[in-house]
Amino acid sequence: MNQNDAYQLCCRYHGQNVRIKCNDGTVHVGEITRVTRNMVWVRPQGGGLGGGYGLGFWGYGPGFGYRPGLGVGIALGAILGIGLASAFFW
Amino acid sequence: MNQYLDLLAHFGIGGAHPGGMALTHSIFAKEKIKPQDHVLDIGCGTGKTASFLAKNFNCTVSAIDLHPTMIEKAKKRFATEGLTIKAILGDVQNMEFADHSFNYVLSESVISFTDISKTLSEIARVLKENGCLLMIEMTAEQDLSDDVKEKVVEIYGIDEVLTEKEWISRLQQVGFADIEKIPTSGLLIPSEIADMDLSDHISMALHDVWEAHNQFIEQNGHLINYRVFKCYLR
Repeated sequence: MNQNDAYQLCCRYHGQNVRIKCNDGTVHVGEITRVTRNMVWVRPQGGGLGGGYGLGFWGYGPGFGYRPGLGVGIALGAILGIGLASAFFW
Repeated sequence: MNQYLDLLAHFGIGGAHPGGMALTHSIFAKEKIKPQDHVLDIGCGTGKTASFLAKNFNCTVSAIDLHPTMIEKAKKRFATEGLTIKAILGDVQNMEFADHSFNYVLSESVISFTDISKTLSEIARVLKENGCLLMIEMTAEQDLSDDVKEKVVEIYGIDEVLTEKEWISRLQQVGFADIEKIPTSGLLIPSEIADMDLSDHISMALHDVWEAHNQFIEQNGHLINYRVFKCYLR
């Protein structure tokens, strides 16, 4: 997916729980907490590894650029697809 | 091809029907499907339910879907899981199976997307005499306004949403004599999409379809729900 589309979608789903699949096959599930031109931050559901709520996890986390409170940083250019993590379908 | 079905196909969403896989599991927990039984899953999508049935009951399963992307993903799933399920690209309104081929036919929110009477006749034709149709289908809670009907056509490509009474009457018309309603929560609850097989290039337009669908459910969820029926020809 091109980086601009990824940016548009991350903005659209800001604050919602999403499932993001990256080019290398990894999948991130969580709430979009912040979007920049190059990165999106996804906080795992339920706080995940610290998730910014707990103590003792500072500086540690999955992916790269993990930030307490924001979650995991994902480069927009590495995103293959984004969808809502839960939904109703007919 | 219908844009809503394109959405499900390209996002590769498994168990995309009201109640999700949880409802599927609870329906089949009460069924005694034997290993020698032949089950047909119509509109199988990415094959999540077909795979569950084959593994759970060790029965023969065939799966049919009109969407090439769905069948491709279903085949991939069956191969990965080492299952010998036949996945067929075809139209459920006109299937190539011989008469009286199946002990069970399963439709998880599929008949509603087709010419309902045509598909029901086809199902009655391919079912064995003592065979069983299990269906989860969109159902109107009341007569819908023209405005809502138009939206249903626009978003889902569905021409008619039947009420419970109308479903029963259509089923009777094609020969189903014993129709049982299986109780459900009746809530349009979002289920977690744990099973997603994304296509490489998803058009941005499909995200708009998803949004239109969400908006429709939010506004009209009280008018349209779903029902589960278990039907025998005799």
